[in-house]
Amino acid sequence: MRQFHSLLLCLSCLSFTLASSDYHEQLLLKPLHPSLLLASFNFQSNTTLASFEQQNFRYFPRSLGQILQHANTRELHLRFSLGRWDAESWGARPWGGAREGGTGVELWAWVEAETDEVADGRWLTLTNALSGLFCASLNFIDSTRTTRPIMSFQPSGDHKNSTFESLHLLHGTLPREVVCTENLTPFLKLLPCKGKAGISSLLDGHKLFDASWQSMSIDVRPICPLASNDCQLQITQTIDMVLDIQRSKRPRDNPIPRPVPNEELKCDTSKPYHTEDTCYPLDTAAREEEWTLSQIFGHPLKGACPLATDGIDPVCISVPHARQVFSSEGSHEHKDSSGFMRCYHLDSEKDFELVLPQQEISEKAPLEQPLLYAERSFIGYGQERGGVQAILTNPSLTEAVDFIYMESLPWFMKLYLHTLNAKINGLDTHQDVIQEMYYRPALDRKRGTQLEIRILIPANSTVVLTYDFEKAILRYTEYPPDANRGFDVAPAVITIGNVSIRTTSLLLPLPTPDFSMPYNVIILTSTVMALSFGFIFNLLVRRFVAVDEADQWDVRSVRLKVAALIKGKLKRFRKRVKMEKKE
Amino acid sequence: MVSLLSSSVLLRRNPLILKLPPYLSFLCIVIGVAWLLVLPLDNYSRRTYISENALLPGQVHTYFAGSDQNVFRGYKREVDALEGSGNIEVNDKLEEFFKASGLKVARQSYEYKSAGETYAGENIYAILHAPRGDATEAIVLVGAWWNMEGKLNRSGVALILTLARYFKRWSLWSKDIIFLITADSKAGPQAWVDAYHDTHQSGMVDSLPLKSGALQGAVVIDYPFDHRFQDIHIVYDGINGQLPNLDLLNTVVSISGHMGIGTSLQQMWQHSDSYRDRLQTMLRGMLNQGLGHASGPHSSFIPYHVDAITLQPFGEGWQDEMAMGRVIESTFRSLNNLLEHLHQSFFFYLLMQADRFVSIGTYLPSAMLVAVNFTIMAIFLWVKSGSPNGESSNVSLTVEAGEKKTPLAIVKEGDAKALAPEATIAVRERELFLPLAVVAGSQFLGVLPLYIFNHTPEAMLHPIFTAFTSINGFFPLILSALLTHYFAPTAHHYTLIKTFSLLLLGLFLSSLATLNFSLAFLVGLLSAPLTYMQPLPNRPIVKGVLAVLLSALSPTTVLVAGCWWWELGIGRVLKEAAFGWDVWGMTTQVVVWCVWWPAWLVGMVLLFGNPREEKVKGAGNTIETVKT
Repeated sequence: MRQFHSLLLCLSCLSFTLASSDYHEQLLLKPLHPSLLLASFNFQSNTTLASFEQQNFRYFPRSLGQILQHANTRELHLRFSLGRWDAESWGARPWGGAREGGTGVELWAWVEAETDEVADGRWLTLTNALSGLFCASLNFIDSTRTTRPIMSFQPSGDHKNSTFESLHLLHGTLPREVVCTENLTPFLKLLPCKGKAGISSLLDGHKLFDASWQSMSIDVRPICPLASNDCQLQITQTIDMVLDIQRSKRPRDNPIPRPVPNEELKCDTSKPYHTEDTCYPLDTAAREEEWTLSQIFGHPLKGACPLATDGIDPVCISVPHARQVFSSEGSHEHKDSSGFMRCYHLDSEKDFELVLPQQEISEKAPLEQPLLYAERSFIGYGQERGGVQAILTNPSLTEAVDFIYMESLPWFMKLYLHTLNAKINGLDTHQDVIQEMYYRPALDRKRGTQLEIRILIPANSTVVLTYDFEKAILRYTEYPPDANRGFDVAPAVITIGNVSIRTTSLLLPLPTPDFSMPYNVIILTSTVMALSFGFIFNLLVRRFVAVDEADQWDVRSVRLKVAALIKGKLKRFRKRVKMEKKE
Repeated sequence: MVSLLSSSVLLRRNPLILKLPPYLSFLCIVIGVAWLLVLPLDNYSRRTYISENALLPGQVHTYFAGSDQNVFRGYKREVDALEGSGNIEVNDKLEEFFKASGLKVARQSYEYKSAGETYAGENIYAILHAPRGDATEAIVLVGAWWNMEGKLNRSGVALILTLARYFKRWSLWSKDIIFLITADSKAGPQAWVDAYHDTHQSGMVDSLPLKSGALQGAVVIDYPFDHRFQDIHIVYDGINGQLPNLDLLNTVVSISGHMGIGTSLQQMWQHSDSYRDRLQTMLRGMLNQGLGHASGPHSSFIPYHVDAITLQPFGEGWQDEMAMGRVIESTFRSLNNLLEHLHQSFFFYLLMQADRFVSIGTYLPSAMLVAVNFTIMAIFLWVKSGSPNGESSNVSLTVEAGEKKTPLAIVKEGDAKALAPEATIAVRERELFLPLAVVAGSQFLGVLPLYIFNHTPEAMLHPIFTAFTSINGFFPLILSALLTHYFAPTAHHYTLIKTFSLLLLGLFLSSLATLNFSLAFLVGLLSAPLTYMQPLPNRPIVKGVLAVLLSALSPTTVLVAGCWWWELGIGRVLKEAAFGWDVWGMTTQVVVWCVWWPAWLVGMVLLFGNPREEKVKGAGNTIETVKT
């Protein structure tokens, strides 16, 4: 990843030299083992702070700019991520992890406000506005998901000392948010070339969201050269993705991985049992895959973006110089001195294509070792309590690593701080693994737990951090749809200087009521009510008499009754006849 | 209110009511058994259905065919070549295969000690990361290297290797897939799933170096032969009678149905859909559930609320390994669709064939009725034991007569008052110490066999069992003699002993019925005669017959009879039970030795009891009434 840093440095150097607005973009391709390709897109534009405040936007996206002005946001970092970075096979993260977030959506910003309450109000404005802009559920970042990290995040821009006092850092995550095409479209609209030309023309939802890992980021920060008042506002948009070459090469109309025809099967013919119908598959990892840019991204690159500043090659590929790479006409190749990087200058009129044929090659671009391996998982089972285990490994043989581990847990995961335990290499030691700790306990339904721990891991050691928690029982209406899936717990953030690492998110199963139960209860209560109503109604409308008092219904009595009835009728009839006669 | 109160007081002495309970409890047993027997009828059982709509079983095309069969044959040859190799050697090779497919591989070694034997081995597993997933959920495909019968799971393991390679090509997985190959079928899966949830004994079982998210389901392949098969046998019993969600089973049944493969349960290789076959399937299921042992590698997953089943192809037919692979593929696609953990369908059910079941609401009353029979009898005896001596004949006079002859007393409850004959309210003082001591003592004695049988080395198990059985034969006789000699209990004491013993039995069985229905039912049925046991000092022949009958229903005799019927060695069964106790956390032994055996012991002691003549007149009355 040294190349990344050098490129980033180069880009930022340029931005210092050019005082006015400018824009540049760059794509870095880097094959990873086995048969994967890391593609890092970087788009950067600058504007002077003065023209920004006068609403004179040129390369800076107006929609975002107005939101930032309205919410008094001085620095903004927004991340959309999907998948998991496999540090063991892929090495250190691109941009040192600085341009990625945890799974889902992550947002942190420095908001200028006098008091905490005002800052909260502006943060609410910001999340709601961004939610509309990026078609993401950012408006769900409420007080229970918002934290104010103390040690983990530092502003990357230059802020004036006068304003620095009134800046509030707010941080929120949405681990359950699934990043998809509807987030990519607004992202591309912020770019000056809007995905029509330049490297952004390669970005296609189908390919991006088929990636094994992908991260989109937007960073807005002010840059003020020392002892100078002409500050600039810089927006950096990046998209990083790890594509499976074999998967990407499948045609779009036939993406099903059907078994290959028998004759195309690559078998180990040295096996004694090898026949036409018995095949031991060859390990294909040893060979360099053949691919072209249009195979991977679906179409070739549609020329350079005409708005981009000249001087920076838009496409670079990190392969050994011995690897054969063919590029289309009109482009110029520049190889750098490190032996593993070559860049291409593009023609803005013509399509650009890159072809890497199949090649047997032993030399590989070196992988940079990450500073720390982090893995986090749940331990225990059941509906009542559980535990979290974070395994943190320092792979360096010589140097200790000092970092900050930050957890922001939902309120219904009630952490027992006294169970926090750090074992180093499997032993309980009283060595100072935990150097410093900041803990802000949760309040039910108001805010989550925030835990920041400064940890020092000696060289070549593994620290296992564990703590226990209790699961709260939620109210009936507090369960999300598909409650039995569980609740997503945001990734832990590990900060090592400028480098940051996110663990994977976790799925917390909580005791979930049977949601069909209320209906059963309704049916049962209705039945009971109907029965009791019938009983009481019966009691009320009937007259109870003793057996001997009751009318007897035998043939004789019926006959007598009928006779009495007829007599009575006859009497009445006679009376009426008499009265008529009198009249 | 007044009338209610007085009538309840009067009811207590109603001669009809006092005669009723023994018949009532007998009726409970009869109805309980009859209830179970009608369950297989069409009107009492239901056809299974898919409750979770997300599963969509059999709605996807399966593509596991063609050249993948060549790959399968290749792996099959490799697995065949490994037969006879050591565990580590096998895992070295398997690791190579999984790594070549581009999966992350890890291993875990374990060592359990039980009945003086060591069960050690090494599990190997590979994780296929969901292409866009985040390690929050996982499904497991398990194959044991050696299956439950100790055969090499040759086609099963080769199929897992081929499927691992095939699944890797798909990008639609929303959950991680874990391919687990355990060294054996009993200890290996338990060690792995314990370590996955971090509940393992450290030192004996290694922690897992590689983990994924919450396990949503597990499917085990047990395919130990290499010819074509006809149908699939589904094994679903978990440890302690816990069952997987019915939806998982229905999914597999429905998928194999779509593919023209039949399914069978509980080793019913032929099922004609007749009442007899349904009943037989159900009873076999109940027996397996009641024993509470692991019936396959999947059993260890179920206590962790991970729904799991084992699929065993059987018979000679025209379905090949790829068809089996397609069943697995389709099942995994269905599980992959799940948004929530399997929760919609039933967790408590009895199956009578692959597509017919009864749910807990329908079958539970049968075990409850059997358990309630003990409680009814216990309450009856308690009331009986409180009746004053010699008054029972007076009481049996009608209430109207009582109003004139006996002095009246005022019964008060709150504001309500009622008049009742004094005799009916008078309660005889119950002497509780001896009965309580006897019942509590026998309950504690149960811990002894529990400890002995779970902590004896294998070689000693059979001799110790023989010794225990013979001691068990005359132990109640000695106990009864000792009791008579030292404490000289009266008939009243014996009644109370029986009361407490039955009360406990009823209590335990009715709570057990909600956890493990089958065990509660079987134990309840086998101890049903205990309801009618009482001292018979003057009728030696009846006593002898009853003693033989009761001995035939003792836990030890039932165990011996079971072993003889299924042609199993007693030593083997006891070893398995001890293994279950040590490794699986099986609790059937607790029920047998601490619930059933003490009740049986008390029953035998009662039978051999010799009540002392009470000094108070009319001592025999209590016994007479008990006899009814």
